[in-house]
Amino acid sequence: MEWLLLSEKCIWFGLAAVGFGILFNIPSRTLVPVFIMGAIGGFAKVALLHLGINIVGASLFGATLIGCLSIPFAHSKHAPPPMFSIPAVIPMVPGVLAYRMMLGLINLAADTNPDAYNQILSETIHNGLKVMFILMSLAIGVALPMLVTRKESAKEIRFRRPIK
Amino acid sequence: MSDISQKKEIKDLGSTLLEVAMVLMVSGASTGRIRNTIDRISNSFGYTTNMLVSQRSIMLSIYDEHNDCVFNSLKRTAAHAVNFTAVSEISQLSWLTVEEKWGIQKINEELKRIKVLPHYPRLIVLGLTGLAGASFCRLATGQPIDMAFVFLGTVLGLFIRQETMKMNFNPYVCVYFGAFTSSLIAGSLLKFHPTTNHEFAFVTSVLFLIPGIPLINAFSDMIDGNLQNGLIRGLNGFIISFSIALGLLTSMAIYHF
Repeated sequence: MEWLLLSEKCIWFGLAAVGFGILFNIPSRTLVPVFIMGAIGGFAKVALLHLGINIVGASLFGATLIGCLSIPFAHSKHAPPPMFSIPAVIPMVPGVLAYRMMLGLINLAADTNPDAYNQILSETIHNGLKVMFILMSLAIGVALPMLVTRKESAKEIRFRRPIK
Repeated sequence: MSDISQKKEIKDLGSTLLEVAMVLMVSGASTGRIRNTIDRISNSFGYTTNMLVSQRSIMLSIYDEHNDCVFNSLKRTAAHAVNFTAVSEISQLSWLTVEEKWGIQKINEELKRIKVLPHYPRLIVLGLTGLAGASFCRLATGQPIDMAFVFLGTVLGLFIRQETMKMNFNPYVCVYFGAFTSSLIAGSLLKFHPTTNHEFAFVTSVLFLIPGIPLINAFSDMIDGNLQNGLIRGLNGFIISFSIALGLLTSMAIYHF
């Protein structure tokens, strides 16, 4: 039952990825791969979270999976890998944590009594660092396969066939 | 005579390469991709190219086989607007130039076609972005009523942002207007229906504005060694986030959260 609930999230991850893809005006032939990659990457992240791995590691794994998937899709759909990986990775951005960090910063600037101040400060730093590390791990995860395969870009010429 | 025609070819090639680099830059390609694409095209004509790529201007020098500088020019970029279809089409253009030995004429024609390629219809963009916002809300454990409000907020916020862009407001101000509109709509749920926790609706309604491309490109540029460009893109992303935060703050001030 738990796993069923987790797999429901696939749909939402995929839809969010496609929505952003449309916003970025990706070619229409890449929409289905973006949905699949968003769903798989998102599922990997929530599954790892469910198994008790922390959110930074889970995001890194999900983003790396998306980055790896973007290479074969790029070959079959004739579009550069970032066209797939960037929209697919955006649903993993930690919006709620970023909001809490910002709210904390505002509360710190307001007049709070010293007792509450320490607690707000520690919560804000905690949330802010999490946001920073998650964003970094997303960017690294997406870039990792591209960096690894960059040396072989000359070989990729043979895989590419003009479609016109 | 051949000297004159060669000079003309170099001049045409230079302006075409600058145009390609400019379109890539404003469409959201990373600096490494711009360099690779330009190198690929100019190598197929037998020239070497050196570039200085920055956010708002691109400088390009072409060297011939004797390593003499034969062309040198600078171009200002247009306003940035993410368009991945253009990036993808230009990538194909560069490979086809190498494989099928395209001339400058052909590249220019293709570039002209790419620049006027249609975007998705506006209603589809609005609807699917709204759906993406609702999906974000669901992922953050939102209930159907939250999702409905986030959908509405996202659609209207994006609409306001597009309209203010058309009115030539500063891009950061457009983001502010978008964030303000969305959070105002999602916040009404929080204000007038306070029995349950609708915080997630308020937060996720502005997520369609997050500067994903500037931030991810910032990191890919930095990993690539283009530190300056990476920092500039990161700063751009930071200012966009700040505008979103200002929009949220304004709504919070209005609703007295």
